[in-house]
Amino acid sequence: MRRIFITVIGLFLLGNSIVAQDSKPGKTQFMVRGYGHAGLDYYKTPDGKDISFVGAAFSPIFLFKQGNRFMFETELEFELQKNELEIGLEYANLMYVINKYLMVRAGKFLLPFGTFMERLHPAWINRLSTKPLGFGHDGISPASDIGIEFRGAAPIGGTHINYSVYVTNGPRLKDGSEEPDEAGMLNFQNYIDNNNNKFVGARIGYLPLYNSSLELGLSFYTGKVGDQGSVYEDVRAFLWAADFSFVKQISPIKGILDIKAQYNQTNVSDAYYPVVEEARDSANLFTFNNLSRAYYAQLSYRPSMAGKTFLKNLEIIGRYSKLKTPEGSNWGSDVSELTFGLNYWISWRQVIKINYAFINSEGGPDAEEGPQTQKSNSLFVHWAIGL
Amino acid sequence: MKKIILIFTLSLAVAAIAIISSSCTAQREIAAQKSGAELWAQNCIRCHNIPSPPSYTDVQWETIGLHMRERANMTSGQIKKIVAFLQTAN
Ligand code: HEC
Repeated sequence: MRRIFITVIGLFLLGNSIVAQDSKPGKTQFMVRGYGHAGLDYYKTPDGKDISFVGAAFSPIFLFKQGNRFMFETELEFELQKNELEIGLEYANLMYVINKYLMVRAGKFLLPFGTFMERLHPAWINRLSTKPLGFGHDGISPASDIGIEFRGAAPIGGTHINYSVYVTNGPRLKDGSEEPDEAGMLNFQNYIDNNNNKFVGARIGYLPLYNSSLELGLSFYTGKVGDQGSVYEDVRAFLWAADFSFVKQISPIKGILDIKAQYNQTNVSDAYYPVVEEARDSANLFTFNNLSRAYYAQLSYRPSMAGKTFLKNLEIIGRYSKLKTPEGSNWGSDVSELTFGLNYWISWRQVIKINYAFINSEGGPDAEEGPQTQKSNSLFVHWAIGL
Repeated sequence: MKKIILIFTLSLAVAAIAIISSSCTAQREIAAQKSGAELWAQNCIRCHNIPSPPSYTDVQWETIGLHMRERANMTSGQIKKIVAFLQTAN
């Protein structure tokens, strides 16, 4: 563990020394970037209150550029989880510019399934301290995978279009043999292909206004998810997402209006899973309509044209987010979240966020018996920095 | 299968709108004449705050330019102009 830390620190120093000598740049360019955050989280649930300092996380990004067409990019994630240091490889991919309109990426990359995970999740970019519902742990949509992708963009008159097509190993179906409560869920952190079937995905984005303030996007991601040779071999999943982004400084309201939204739907074909209490070889099986949905819409406003610097750096945010997982499954839930935020931007890449969230949830894998709505509130005070 | 057809129909619709709007030559000319500064102000604000030019050196802006061309799916024309602007304004 210590060796990894020393290596990372060594790479940092190397990066800085290269930067210091860049008066005569060579063809090799190396940059260390990344982000980190720290904060205080407060949760109030029917079970009690919990207040804790958080943030022992550090995400360095390394960019290696060779010539004008080739780059290797990777992001590591160091995080303390219950006193243990966890290290993750967020992405590690090669990238080559084929021509004006096309580039190819291979390796582990963030998937352009909608925009949140690829473009908006880093702590210094995300306007709020949490991800919208449906993303991240136990989420219904993917963040990254291993494969190959072609992507690019092109002007069409005064407007722009961007596109991406990719093939990956794909997620794996949880058949209930390990965690019976999660039968029918997809595991997106599955980087070994469990079948020979590859997932195929694509996103198309269109910026219809010539000032590029508006972008509309549509994505899909589909393939087989069951283990090869198992009864689930032919189970397929079809995921799609629609995303929306509008960002513009508007004079009459003296500031920047930022609206972001994404809708995700995950559909897994019908399959029969063992009933929880029974032994695995029991004949008792159940099925359900395996359809999950999640969406969020976020609006933020920053009075960037105000006279006072203090005011200019303030930002107010509101986000509504909802997640619905299949009724009839052991993990069926209906959760909604309303979050308000007040941010203070110290610089373009450093922010102090104060967020308050109201969460209503029904069901879920950890829920008590019987349908009852649980209300919880949380307060987050985070300080995030892009390095 | 139905959904794949639906998505492709929608994609085609998007492409059709794109082609129709591209026939507007006035817009095309305005877009082609945009300066690096203008493109920077309009595009580099879409996901995060607008990065200030002095934050990085000329060489670093080149690396970031390629990174953002990939991450933000921007055109090579836009990125070239923006990087040139950032390298003069830093
Ligand atoms: C479509 C979204 C999007 C747009 C548009 C965008 N960026 Fe970024 N930018 C990102 C993301 C996401 C990151 C974080 C990269 C990561 O964590 O891997 C980032 C990171 C950066 C960084 C930190 C260094 C780095 O390369 O990681 C700089 C500087 C930057 N962007 C500059 C720009 C500039 C200049 C533009 C305009 C040409 C721009 N960005 C447009 C999404 C975007």
